[in-house]
This record gives sequence, C-alpha cells and structure tokens, in this order.
Amino acid sequence: MTDAIDIILTVNGRTHRLNVPPRRMLADLLRDELQLAGCKIGCDQAVCGACTVLVEGMPVTACTSFAFEFDGKAVTTTEGLAAGGVLDPVQQAFLEHGAFQCGFCTPGMILSVKALLARHPDPDVPLIRQWLNANICRCTGYQMIIDAVRAAAKAGAR
Amino acid sequence: MDGSSSPFRAAVVRLDGPDKVTGAARYTFEPPRHVACQSVAEPTSACTYPLDRDCARRVARRRIRGSDRCAALPDPYYGVAIRDQPVIAIDKVRYIGDMVAAVAAIDEETAYRALTLIDVQYHPLRAVMTIDEALAAGAPLLFEAPAGGAAVQVGEGVTSLKEPRPNVLSEFGYRNGDAEAVLAASDHVFEDRFTFSRINHFHLEPYVNVARVGGGQIELWSCNQDPFVLRNDLARIFGRSANTVRIHSSYVGGGFGGKSFCKMEPLAALLALKAGRPVRLCLSMDEGILTLTKHAGILVLKTGVMADGRLTARQSEIQLDAGAYSDVSAMTVVKTGYRITGPYRWVAVATRACAVRTNSVPAGSFRGFGGTQASFASESQIDMIARRLGIEPYEFRRKNLLAVGEPFQPGDSGMDSDLLAGLDAVVERLGYRRRAAPPAAGTKRRGMGLSIGLKDASGTNYAQALVKVLPAGRAIVNAATVEIGQGATTALCRIGAEVLGLPLEWVRYGAIDTDHTPLNNGTHVSCTTAVTGMAIERAAADARRQILEFAADRLGCSAGELTLDHWTVRRGNYTHLLEPMINDHFGAAGYEFIGRGGTRIEYDPRAPLAALNLFWIPSWVGAEVEVDYETGKVEVTQLVVGADSGTSVNAQACRGQVEGAALQAYGQSLFEELRYDGTEPVNATPLAYRVPLASDLPECYESFVVEHGGPGPFGAKGIGESGMLGVAAAIANAIEDAVGVRLTQIPLTSERVLTAIEGAR
Repeated sequence: MTDAIDIILTVNGRTHRLNVPPRRMLADLLRDELQLAGCKIGCDQAVCGACTVLVEGMPVTACTSFAFEFDGKAVTTTEGLAAGGVLDPVQQAFLEHGAFQCGFCTPGMILSVKALLARHPDPDVPLIRQWLNANICRCTGYQMIIDAVRAAAKAGAR
Repeated sequence: MDGSSSPFRAAVVRLDGPDKVTGAARYTFEPPRHVACQSVAEPTSACTYPLDRDCARRVARRRIRGSDRCAALPDPYYGVAIRDQPVIAIDKVRYIGDMVAAVAAIDEETAYRALTLIDVQYHPLRAVMTIDEALAAGAPLLFEAPAGGAAVQVGEGVTSLKEPRPNVLSEFGYRNGDAEAVLAASDHVFEDRFTFSRINHFHLEPYVNVARVGGGQIELWSCNQDPFVLRNDLARIFGRSANTVRIHSSYVGGGFGGKSFCKMEPLAALLALKAGRPVRLCLSMDEGILTLTKHAGILVLKTGVMADGRLTARQSEIQLDAGAYSDVSAMTVVKTGYRITGPYRWVAVATRACAVRTNSVPAGSFRGFGGTQASFASESQIDMIARRLGIEPYEFRRKNLLAVGEPFQPGDSGMDSDLLAGLDAVVERLGYRRRAAPPAAGTKRRGMGLSIGLKDASGTNYAQALVKVLPAGRAIVNAATVEIGQGATTALCRIGAEVLGLPLEWVRYGAIDTDHTPLNNGTHVSCTTAVTGMAIERAAADARRQILEFAADRLGCSAGELTLDHWTVRRGNYTHLLEPMINDHFGAAGYEFIGRGGTRIEYDPRAPLAALNLFWIPSWVGAEVEVDYETGKVEVTQLVVGADSGTSVNAQACRGQVEGAALQAYGQSLFEELRYDGTEPVNATPLAYRVPLASDLPECYESFVVEHGGPGPFGAKGIGESGMLGVAAAIANAIEDAVGVRLTQIPLTSERVLTAIEGAR
C-alpha cells in the first residue's frame, strides 16, 4: 500500500517498526497485528472505555485513535503490567477484592486506575469515581472496584 | 442447612480472576486462530458470498427478494415457545433494527462497503409503536398468519394462550378464589396504574459468533449463554440432527439475559454455509441495542384491604410490550403475572397478563425476568395504600408478609426466606426508625422508602454434569453453565472440590463444547449454583464413590470404612496415598474416575407454573432520597439492598451480584431508558444511551446477604437477579415520603417529579 505510514511504536517496552495504513485504529493494530487482545473493543465509539490503553502514561481510547498519531510514543497495554508473571499491585487488588465479573472492562479499567494512581497516589472516593467515569462496568456496581482502588493505593501502588 | 455450618466460609479468589485481571481471558470476541476471520460479516443490510473489493459492487447489484435469503432453511423461525422471528426478514420488516441483509466478505471493511451499495426498497407500512396503538380496533397486524410453536405449559388454576387476539402474542391468566367477590367485601379497594420503561442490557462484549460449516457439521463459537438451547434451535432451523451441530462457549463479556436464547446465530451459520468458509459475525453496539430490550409495560392493580390493614384480594391487568418478535416474551408474561402478588398473603387473586406485539425492538430475558416489572408495580401500590390508610408502610408490610413455610400460592412451595428479618435488616441499616421530619427550610426534602422484591426460581430445571478425577487428584468439572461474569465456574468447582475433598486450585471448569459437555437448559434464573450445582454435587459424589470403592478393593476393606481427603484415603488412623495404588493397578497411563450426576425438577400439574418453585428470591431494599421541590431533582443519598443466597458458595461473588444488579435497577429507576420518537429509537447508540457510571452511585451504597438455607448443594440458593427487583419501588416510595407526590412511571426523572409536585400544588 503506497499510502501506508511508517511509525515507531514502543509497546510494553518493546519497540516495533510498523507500516500502517492511515485508517488503522490503535485498537486494531494492538489486537490484530501485535496480538494484544487484552485491549477490548466494546462500543467502538470511545464511550465505554474497554479499549483504554496508556500512551506515555495517559489513558487513551484505542478504538477511536489512529495508530499513526502515536509515532514515537510509548504504549502500555494490560499485557505490559504483569511483567515476569508477577501481578501489578492494581491487578492484585482487583483480584483480591473481586473487582471484576465478566472481565471485559477490566483491562481498560485497571489501566485507568494506573493512570489515576500515578497522578494521585492517595485518591479519595469522589476522585476515584470521577476517574472511573471513563470506564463503564455493567456488572459490578463499581463499589468493589472502588474498594480495590483504595486498597491498591494503600498498598502503595503507582 | 443454614449458612452457619457452611464449608465455604473461607474467602477464595475466583478461578477466572487471574485471566481477567491480566487481560489473558479469551472471549468469543477473540475466536480461535484456526477459524478466525477467514471472512467476516456485516449484518443489517444481501448477499452471502465471500467478496473482494471488485466484486462487491457487482454482487450488491443482484436483485434479491427476502424470501430467497432463507430458502435454504427448512424452518427459518426462532423464538421460545412461540416461534415467529425469521433468521433474516422474509416478508416484511417489523422494526427499525430488523436484519434485512447480511454481507460476508474477506474483511470487515469490504463487507461494510458492500453493504453501503445495497439499496433496499421498502414499501412503508403503518406501524404500531405502543401497547395502546397495537390493541386499538383496526390496528395494523404485525403478523397475518399464526406463528409456529405453542403456548407455555402451565399448571393448576392457570391459563396460557398463544396469539389469542390481534397483535397479542400470548396471554397468561391465573385465578385463586373469587377475587371479584372478595374485593366487593373489602373495606377499601384501590386501583392504580403503573408504567414500566424499556432498557437495554448494554453488555460490553458485543453479540459475536463465529460459524464454520463443513464435514457434515455446523460448528459455532458463540457468546450465547445457552449452548444447548442454541444447538437444538440450529438443528431445527437447518433441518439437521442435533449431533451435527456443535457449539463452543468461552468467557462471555456480560449478558444479563441479552445473550439468552437464539438470536443472530443462525444467520452466522447461514453465511458460513453460503460462503463455504468460516464467518465471524460481530454486531456493533448500536446493532446490539436494537437486538433486545427489557419489557416495557403497563400494570393496573386493583387491591382490596380491610380496615385493620389486612390485604384481601388483588386483581391485575398486565400488558407487556413484546416488541416485534416473540423471543421469550411468552414466558416473561407468565412470570410477571405470577409474581404480581408480591411477598404477601391473599384471600383471592385474579391476574391477566399479555404480551403485546409492537413495531419496536423485541423484548426478552433481562435479569429479573418479569419480576422487576411486577415488583415495581406491587411494591409501589403497597406503599401507596399504606400511606392512604395512614398506616406506617413498614407496619403494613409486616402485617401482610408471608411467613416462613407459607405457600406463595396454593399448590406452590412455601416461603423459604425470613422476609421480615430481611426487611428489619434494611430498616436497621438505613436508620429508618431514626429518620427526622423533613426540614422546613430550603428547597430540599428528605424521605425514606422500603420495598421487598420477590421472584421465583422456576424454569431452569434440568442439568447434567460430569466430574472427572485425573491422576494426582486434579479434577475437571463439566457442565453447560456459561461463565458470564457471575462467578459460576468458581462456585461449581468449589462444590465439586468440597465433595471430593480436594483443594479448589486442583479443580478446573472444563471448556464448554456441546459434543462433550453434558446438557443443561441454559444459564438462567439465578439457578446455576442450585440446579447445575446439584448435578455437580451428585457427579462428584459418584466419582468419590468410585474412588473409595477402588481403594477399598485394593486395601481389602469396605468403602464405608474410608474417607477421601486431599487425594489420600483414610482408614481409621491410617492414611493411604491413592497415587501409588492407581499406578500399581492401571499402569503408566493412569485412570480417570468419571462421576455422573443430574438434577431434574419434576413436572407437577398441581403447581401453578407446572413445577414446584425450587426456591424464592427476595430482595429487600431501602432508599433515602433528597428531593429538590423547586427543580424536581432526586438525589439518592442512601441505598441499602439485601438478598438471600442460601449458603453462599462465594460470599464476595454474591455481594458483587447484588450490587451489580441493584445498580442496573438504579439506573433504570432514575434515568436509563431506550426511548422512541414515532417509529424511530432516539438514543440507540452507546453515546446517547446512558447507563450508570461510577459517579452515579448513591452517596452511601450498602449491600448485605443473608443465608437462610436453600435446596441446592450445602444449602445454596440463587442470587443473581435479586438486586434488580425492589430498587425502583423503594426510590419511588422514598420520593413520596419526601415530597408527598407519587410517581407511577419510571424513570423517576426530574421533569416527572417536578410536574407531579406542581400538579399537587
């Protein structure tokens, strides 16, 4: 394809040189080409937040972001969290507090929480609720997620 | 058994947890690599051949009549009990969202481009969009000819009719005693009308299916939560024997009823059949919202009371909006109609409930299944009557509640939950007795409301299970209950592990594949732990018996002398390792002990719903609201929701079920609704359709679970739907408590509250 764009993307610490069509969405790139299926596509309209990944530490809805926008940037997906098989403290807190049910929103939710705790290491409940607004969970009623976030913060998760 | 002697006290981490928190969990959304996406389909708009970019335009120009598309199918209709929904629209389009064409192509983009080239020619017909329009004299008919199938089977005192009148899909009637005479003899009779709203499931994983047809087999990887129901439907639709249809299930990314029963799966199989390649059919969320809803409805209740506050009789007329196609509406009206009397004692009852066809999105299973509609109307009216008679609403309920053991209706099972104790727990946690009089200053008024939702657990009544114990005591539990997020796999494995004396980590839930997995009739009715759990308990006991008999034979004793624990057998003070015994006897290949078990809730024509209800699912709710009488804004400051799990097999998961369901009900109570303007849905997109977010949570949100003991394994009951039942009424009741106006229609929006307040001035 002559209209494809060369980009360099660092995903979970690994650098990829990619040639992407201009219309390729970041979520499709991650899922289909890099096999990072933890990035879920729910609404496909940047509403539900299931596709949330971190770009330079900030949450981004990958379903509606063009891949070429992130040339030279560092992307973190859920697969990048449990490095070496040890769960990230946020993942551990979600596990222990039962802060998931169907699990479809969970990877995106956990990445939003990572971004929250990086900025606000000890968030109060209103702030947690405000940050979680970017991620819809239809299963849990959110309360157990909020419990997990507080526990993760208490355990010093960043 | 009650919860106190439960073997499941210790907290456990869910077995699906590590996969889900790391993103390693695989859903149907990620089909197996060997079948993935050789072609994909885009539905809604008419060709079924693999296309490349060049031939898309050519193929799209073919003239295709609706009836041609289903020509390959011996029976192109599906639906539960009554079958009227075609695999793809045949003679006419009955609602916006009806599938009229589908394209399979080499990739999604090509399929989508081909779709845009299809020019569907419609001849507009007059539509009926509301229950009243559909029932009006001379209303246009959705169906000219009777549909296939039959009325829902019922028992004593009950009538169940298929298509009794124009635009009426089905009708349920129930009588106990002479309600008219009892009402006539009552001191007070109150008639009230309630309007229930339409909402969507909004599961985050879209409807997704991958189909492959070949080698004499239809194979489907499906997000459907009822693999065997689906298998049987596909076999019928394609005119094949059941052993040539194979369904695989994996994790399901949320369902809430939306992924129950047959939907677009036959279309995926039809596309794969025509394409000659595997096809992945994944609906967008917009299309998903137009696939199924919860039933909107109108409920008119006429209730008699004596001067001393005793309820006497209730006469109910219920109309549910079934939408354009049957789906499972015939069952839903039965359940709504049966549950309309709530958790109270009656002298007489007369109920008529019907499912009305309209040109809107089909309605079907949604957590609560008719119980939500019934509980909203019933618990609102109970509160209204109490306030009209000047009786404290708590006291009015207490006076009339069914006692433990009292049958819900004659011929049905007794109440197995202490309803008053649950209500008292809500009263205590809410601070109901300490509530202050509304402050006189300012524009805000506070109030509290109570409610007791109730539903039965009948309908899912059949399950088979296998428990296989492999070398080293590792076990696989096989059953057809799908992990939709409810925690079924953990609960079912825990039951198996407990019976076999194995650590939970040694037990795994087997992949579901209808070629190998034992059958059940679906992941429904909050019944997994009780019904499928019982089958697993029995299968595990069968495996344990085989293991102990084998060991007894090797040890030269009787099996009755032995106990099994951590893959060893104990006889008196001696412990024997099983592994060397097995190796010695069977050799290197080892052996699998395969236990079988089943549950069947027997048909009983004397019970109103043709089987004794297995257990009761109550929900106790208390709400505190703050209403601004200048703006009508309602803020729920406190919400307390309680449920009865019987013995909790996983207390943490039970809490999650109650809170998750209650928040869905909370959204529906206050703002969430799929709305129409004429024939068009106005908010059927993820952006416009608003579901509860974290910041919508009540300021204080509390749940509790009691363990009153049930018929399932170790005394378990079911809990998945309970939180859904009583929330709307509790909030409406609290609003009346706060500002003295009654809303009988949900959602309880500021506009409605303000209009009511202004009307009362």
